[in-house]
Amino acid sequence: MKLSAIRPIALVLSREMAITLLLLLGVSFVVFIILYLSPGDPFSALLEGQLSSGESPSGAHEVLGVPPSWYARYLSWLANLLQGNFGTSIRTGMPVLGEVLRVGINTLILTLGSMLVTLLIAVPIALYSVVRGINKISWPLTMFAYVVSALPVFWLGYIVIYFFTHKLGLFPLAFGYATTSTKFGWLYALLPIFVLGVGNGTISEVIRSLRDEMGRVMAEDYIRTARAKGASVWKHSFKEGLLIPVTEIVAAKIPFILGGAVIVEQVFNWPGMGRMAWQAAQDRDYPVIMGIAILAAVFVRLGSLFQSVVYVAVNPRASKE
Amino acid sequence: MKSYSQISGEIGEFSDLPFWKKADTVDLAYVTYGLLIVTLVVLSYFLGSFNLLPHDPQDLDLELMMAGPGTAGHLLGTDFMGRDMLSRLIVGIQAYFLPGLLAITISLLFGTLLGVLAGYHGGRSETVITYFTNLVDSFPRLVLILLVIAAFKPDIYVIMIVVGITNIPVVASLIKGKIQFLKQKNFIEADTALGLPTRTIILKHILWHNCRSLLIIQATLGMGEAILMETSLSYLGFGVQEPTPSWGNMVQSGANYFMKGQFWPSTAPALAILFTILGFHLLGDGLNNILEGRRGK
Repeated sequence: MKLSAIRPIALVLSREMAITLLLLLGVSFVVFIILYLSPGDPFSALLEGQLSSGESPSGAHEVLGVPPSWYARYLSWLANLLQGNFGTSIRTGMPVLGEVLRVGINTLILTLGSMLVTLLIAVPIALYSVVRGINKISWPLTMFAYVVSALPVFWLGYIVIYFFTHKLGLFPLAFGYATTSTKFGWLYALLPIFVLGVGNGTISEVIRSLRDEMGRVMAEDYIRTARAKGASVWKHSFKEGLLIPVTEIVAAKIPFILGGAVIVEQVFNWPGMGRMAWQAAQDRDYPVIMGIAILAAVFVRLGSLFQSVVYVAVNPRASKE
Repeated sequence: MKSYSQISGEIGEFSDLPFWKKADTVDLAYVTYGLLIVTLVVLSYFLGSFNLLPHDPQDLDLELMMAGPGTAGHLLGTDFMGRDMLSRLIVGIQAYFLPGLLAITISLLFGTLLGVLAGYHGGRSETVITYFTNLVDSFPRLVLILLVIAAFKPDIYVIMIVVGITNIPVVASLIKGKIQFLKQKNFIEADTALGLPTRTIILKHILWHNCRSLLIIQATLGMGEAILMETSLSYLGFGVQEPTPSWGNMVQSGANYFMKGQFWPSTAPALAILFTILGFHLLGDGLNNILEGRRGK
């Protein structure tokens, strides 16, 4: 790649990085505020029964070195976050960051895999209905996408487990154990990935948005010109009509797929962030759920960072906007 | 290309044909199905609140457990404790109906407010709103709600306030886009030239005449979201607790029997979720295509 092609990307990358950092700062603030407002901070649990009601526990705060004002508390908390200290889990006593990162990789596999499944289903349907319009094949396919998007993902999980594991025995009945005990344990990963990819509720939206975008591009003058002079329409429409819409919709749907992962991990006992978040919400284990929320937000932000990089790489003019 | 579609759109706006004659058959079918579902849900909500049920939803009948649909006396069969499925499904609507309306109200109200601010005034308020939108979109909704649950152990209404807040950006950006489009048509400028007060322009000319259908569509889609959220949460064990029925916890409690080949107790509520959410989605999309002219020919 020539230098002139890299410069706009670097420019946009630095600008987007700044925005991303600002947004992550905002994310940390929202998380802090929710926890700050929650009744019964960890101190009241610590001091329970030792203070008569109504007595201010502020003395204890000073002794323990806790700043009295909320902004000072936020800043010291943020400083800890930036040093990688997310606190320790109330339930297990382990440092949060290490635990969350350890399971985060499983969630990453699950989400990326299911995104791929969603695209493998949605892109052909969208392409077909753009090229051929609404006909006897694309109409049932679109309807099917609607129905699939409304399916409760947990029930889809049961069906898949029942048929593939119980009836056909095609996949090991693992629930997290077989990944180490059997040779084909990794096969087990395919089921939740498939279920989340089909049932994350975004397929019909992905199809609709891809179809609209592709339809718009296919109606552009330069496509007509390409077709008229016998050039490859596919080659001319690929970037604008497929690459950009796909990255855009994928980046926009990451939060939904992560949300769906919470449920799918529960159904399949997949040892990931979503399951940990569920457990933490059950136990009111603030530090853990806080770490997960921040890490999930980092995932989402990185996705949209990636999207803007692709957008500028394809269309350098955009860096001047 | 652009100018043509604009002109035809304006003709369409002023034609005398009622909207159902201009619409696609497909869209009309979507809307009909959606309205049917909405009617059923509202009707069942009132049946549930006035206790007009075929059976007591808590009534155990240990003689008749896991009956299939069509059993005498139990139209949709019974669950693993012999409780009447139909009554439980009807009562399950109580779990999401009012909370869902709350979520819709919040997202429409504040979304409209922010959208008008950003679209009509623009400038710095637009930047702030874009930042807020990106901030809200950074959180996977379910994770944010689990965070709120861990912090407050709230009831479903508080959770639905959070759902409503996470829907604000969508509404705000749609309203903003609409207003910016109207501005291009010199429509607002003409209003100002006529000396109309800003309040009339925004409330009557922008919101009532031009954003009405958009808000209705967002309301139906928002209800679909709320149902999905409530059923997911009660499936995860955070919403309504047994023995009070909710579609989510009905699926969950039927799950043990699912693996033994007795599908009905968790399939019936799952189908209820499927058909209802499908109804709200199709209603929203159908209305969108008909009223906003989205379907390109």
